[in-house]
Amino acid sequence: MKNPIATLVIGFALFSTPALASNTLIPEKVSVAVAKSPLTVTLSREWNKMGARPGRKSETWTIDGDGLNDVTFYGGIENDTTLFREISKRSKPLPHFASTMLLTDVPTLFENSYSIALDTQLIKIDTVEPIDFLGRKGVHFTYTFSRLNEEVRRKGEASATIVDGKLFMITFEAPDVFYFQRDLPAYRAIVSTATLAQPGVK
Amino acid sequence: MADEGERLLRDSKFLVNDPGLNHYVLGVLCKTVGDSRCGGVRLYIVRTAAFNAAMAPNGMLVVNTGLLLRMRNEAELAAVLGHEFAHFEMRHSLNGFKQQRTATDIFAWMGVAAAGAAYYGGGYGSVRSYQSAQIGAIGSIYANDRAQETQADLLSMAYLKISPYDPGCFADIWERVMGEADATARGRKQRIARYDRVSFFASHPTELARAQYLRDIALKMNKGGEDGSQRFRDAMAKWRGDFLLDQIKLNDFEGTDFLMGQLAANQWTPDLLYSRAELYRARGNPRDLVSAISFYRQALEGDHNNAEAYRGLGLAQLRNRDPSGVEALKTYLAMRPDASDRAMISTLLQ
Repeated sequence: MKNPIATLVIGFALFSTPALASNTLIPEKVSVAVAKSPLTVTLSREWNKMGARPGRKSETWTIDGDGLNDVTFYGGIENDTTLFREISKRSKPLPHFASTMLLTDVPTLFENSYSIALDTQLIKIDTVEPIDFLGRKGVHFTYTFSRLNEEVRRKGEASATIVDGKLFMITFEAPDVFYFQRDLPAYRAIVSTATLAQPGVK
Repeated sequence: MADEGERLLRDSKFLVNDPGLNHYVLGVLCKTVGDSRCGGVRLYIVRTAAFNAAMAPNGMLVVNTGLLLRMRNEAELAAVLGHEFAHFEMRHSLNGFKQQRTATDIFAWMGVAAAGAAYYGGGYGSVRSYQSAQIGAIGSIYANDRAQETQADLLSMAYLKISPYDPGCFADIWERVMGEADATARGRKQRIARYDRVSFFASHPTELARAQYLRDIALKMNKGGEDGSQRFRDAMAKWRGDFLLDQIKLNDFEGTDFLMGQLAANQWTPDLLYSRAELYRARGNPRDLVSAISFYRQALEGDHNNAEAYRGLGLAQLRNRDPSGVEALKTYLAMRPDASDRAMISTLLQ
């Protein structure tokens, strides 16, 4: 509760826009480093970067607005930290990422973090598959969720890998009706260009 | 207002629509309060891990899955459902609303008087008496609710007296609720609540007070009865595993471990052992993984058809750098050739 922005951020769909934060247009055909990390992507269309970030190591982009089509970048979540800011460390602490986790543990960590932050038992990991991500073995998973008192069914997709004990992940989520199918290719295009810059190389 | 809420709830994705479970829970209510009374009740079981239930004045009874999970037998469920029904029968929600109106009218009136007094030079004393009247009125809303809770407890005990159930079960629930809350607080390194003092704003009597007066009444009734634990287990068999996994997701290790211990009492069934293993594997400290491996093995001794337990065992072993996890994962894939994570698990076998 100390940080009003943090409260607002988690207050909506995990990642909402507080009035104070400024959003930025990211033009197409540029390469950008995301989430203040070595994670770099190249865009084939314009995106809006949300001023409010879900956590220190993450940022969210959208096309039409928060909650409609959100891509979130997690740029190196460190050992013993949470995926995003906690709503209440006291009453609803989030589980921590651990460097020792197997790739199969990542979807579970994600599911449990969402379940607590969004106060819902209705989140389900639908599929879990191996992929190559950032030039390494990674995990790809899809999920479905609804929040309590909000009957919109949302679908999501995520690609993740662990590099030197840090979690890198890009997720996409949107309402099942219309937005998810329409914008999934744009998300996949981002994931296909994702690379990890070598340390020291800008 | 309640009707609109009920319409939303009826169409909610959070509703557990299993006819068997709904029929069973409603049946327990009818056995407790009598068929003639329970006819107008509409039951909604909601998929929420928190321990709660509520009854609206229009006859809508909402029961959380977190409540069902915490009951050890049918008699405990009967006591809680009887309590909620007692609020309905005594028209507490309606009376509560009227009482709130009266109390808020008092502050509105006192507010005007005090503002007038301050304006006309009445000074600090008047303002302070206004504030204390306001606080007193707020207190009375809550105190009334607290009294209603006690009344509902007493009426529920009266239902239990004429029901086939053992009235002693009601007190057991509150003792476990205190234990669980203490375990959660310990796990989160927080101060443990005091149960011997009721806070001014508390809407319910403390769990300790409840456990004590319910125990006293049950002793005075001197009535035995069935607890229906086998029927309850059968009715919950299809769901308990899912509700336990909901509970594990809350990231409340100590509270959940306590809860599982209470559900087990002296008998750790294979499903509880499996859930406990999942709880330990989720926290995933090295010693948790050792415990998890042992719980998975015990679960498999009791039920060797549990493919998920082989999956958990293998993953816990691999995370603990024990290559024999590969064998357990192979067994999992052999048992579940169409597992949705087959491709992912296969990558761990190389």
